[in-house]
Amino acid sequence: MNLDKLFKPKSIAVIGASRDETAVGFGILKNLIKGTVFENDGATGFPGKVFPVNPKADTLLDQKCYSSVLDIPDPVDLAVIVLPAKIVPVIMKQCVNKQVGAAIIISAGFGESGAEGKKLQDEVVSIAQKGNIRIVGPNCLGVIRPHACMNASFAPTVPPKGDIAFISQSGALVDSVVDWAVERDYGFSTIVSYGNAADLALHDYLQWLADDEETKTIALYIEGIQDGKKFMEVAREVSKKKPIIALKGGKTNAGSQAISSHTGSLAGSYEAYKAAFHQSGVIIAEDLNELFSTAFTLANEPSSGKRMVIITNAGGPGVCTADYCADLGIELVEIKEETLAKLDASGVMHPAYSRRNPLDLVGDALPIRYQTALDILLGETYIDGAIVIQTLQTMTNPLQDAAVIIAAKKKNPPKLIIAVFMGGKYTKEAVHMLENNGVPTFNDPHDAAKALKKVIEYHSRKKT
Amino acid sequence: MNHINLDQKDVFLILQDASFPISRILLAENEEQAVENGKSLGFPLVMKIDSPEISHKSDCGGVKTGIQNEGELRLSYRQVMHDAHTAYPQATLHGVLLQKMENGREIIIGAKKDPTFGHMIMFGLGGIMVEVMKDVSFRISPLKESDAMEMIQEIKGYAILKGTRGEKSVDIKSLTTILLLLSDLLSKKPEISELDFNPVMVSEHGAIIVDARISL
Repeated sequence: MNLDKLFKPKSIAVIGASRDETAVGFGILKNLIKGTVFENDGATGFPGKVFPVNPKADTLLDQKCYSSVLDIPDPVDLAVIVLPAKIVPVIMKQCVNKQVGAAIIISAGFGESGAEGKKLQDEVVSIAQKGNIRIVGPNCLGVIRPHACMNASFAPTVPPKGDIAFISQSGALVDSVVDWAVERDYGFSTIVSYGNAADLALHDYLQWLADDEETKTIALYIEGIQDGKKFMEVAREVSKKKPIIALKGGKTNAGSQAISSHTGSLAGSYEAYKAAFHQSGVIIAEDLNELFSTAFTLANEPSSGKRMVIITNAGGPGVCTADYCADLGIELVEIKEETLAKLDASGVMHPAYSRRNPLDLVGDALPIRYQTALDILLGETYIDGAIVIQTLQTMTNPLQDAAVIIAAKKKNPPKLIIAVFMGGKYTKEAVHMLENNGVPTFNDPHDAAKALKKVIEYHSRKKT
Repeated sequence: MNHINLDQKDVFLILQDASFPISRILLAENEEQAVENGKSLGFPLVMKIDSPEISHKSDCGGVKTGIQNEGELRLSYRQVMHDAHTAYPQATLHGVLLQKMENGREIIIGAKKDPTFGHMIMFGLGGIMVEVMKDVSFRISPLKESDAMEMIQEIKGYAILKGTRGEKSVDIKSLTTILLLLSDLLSKKPEISELDFNPVMVSEHGAIIVDARISL
């Protein structure tokens, strides 16, 4: 299916654009023209054409305003509709006449609001289908494509460019994620809030993203799926190309259904979702933090990381990490004598270094010790990757340690490297540098181990 | 939503048609028939009162297990009929149902229609393990052979099935066979809303469904 008019439009009309700064129709127009409503140095406006549509204005945000989409002289690829639900059918007919390629219906008051709204929604979809217009929403926040500088949403701003697509049933969740992403410098390729999914459904977005060059990993927030079988069929194929990771909201059972069997009492809807995700290769996240940290790890780690070493400058965190790995079934390899001989011969190891996995470099480790350990260990064919832990002592140099790790990653592309930089104020800059260079970095070793486990899970399932 | 529970006889016919391994149940309307049927099934036996009015059969002495020979069989028949009549003087007593007593581990296999994904299949250790530990695994039907195998390996009690302290492993293949037959049955009968095979008895020699319920 071709959704290029939606995701790669050359021209966008905002139908229901407003001069009222508190109106959604203003926010979307400004997001398109400036890239952001809130102050954000990283934001740029949409490079294609933006046409505000509002019969009561001549210009909006210095753009010529049209009284109807039909008055726009140029072709319109994408229409963003921000008008009361009851007039949307009329507007959709105009869009059909204008041969608009795709529409995002922001407005609420459709299927989510009861039988009347559902009727209206069906009417709008049937009008759009006659004109081959695919619809996002209604009742949604919109679509953001940072690489194309397209912010067709009323999120506060645009997140940085990256390689993770986030498809969310909740629009409000997207707002918060965008704010968080700007602060963290966490990049996205695509964000879609799909609302009622009256036309385009989750599986349609998955199918399109499977071939999107900017997207490496797909993160989902799901509350309910309409066509479960279709979702499984599509996800099974897409997950072979790109990792899909999902957070399911609404895990508890309403329990309204009469249950007559033993199985019935145990087989809740979350069990069905978990089984369906598992069978279609979709990784399950337990919370938002895990959703995004795992998505980042999966996007940046192409290898499976089955046999791992821990390299640390601190005993305690090394032991904790080893415990977490053991609990999760992550294999920590035994470091062979020949490898230890190389470490000994390097002349940079502390006389009391641990000589085993976790490899404790001792608290006074300078960057050269990390570098030597990474070089020797990742050079071994029996080691797939390393978790590198840094705690801060007086002589520790976080930025140089980060540079060493980044260099090791470049030198050993098939190996998996995860950094655990424990700390706060004085390690923040190094963490930022690591993440900007595609090294998944964690503050808590438990989170690191959990993300690693998901990577191993993804790669082992991909093989089957 | 109200389910229709299928009659026990229909359930067994459906399962027989689909080639599930099921434990035969024979009705005996009198003592002589009980002896005849009991011998054809083979000892040890389980006997249950057959009466449409009595649902909690063991509460009124309506169930006897471990019947080893003809003498015990005759005695059990008289006791079961007498105790059931004493507890429920008004109830119609068709006689007793006889079934061979199967050895091995108790397993529960079930299915439920999920509104989003269609039929979901459940596997777990039966009896107290499912009641208390909820040690079960789920997959959406249809199952591939690898799904069936994973479902069995995924439960915590898998080690028990594989045999601990020198015990022999149960016949795992016989369990995957039942799971895959169930997957086929659900594809052919989409009207099934819930199903329980509880218990399935599995030993090193194979698995057999002892009791089953199906609702539409």
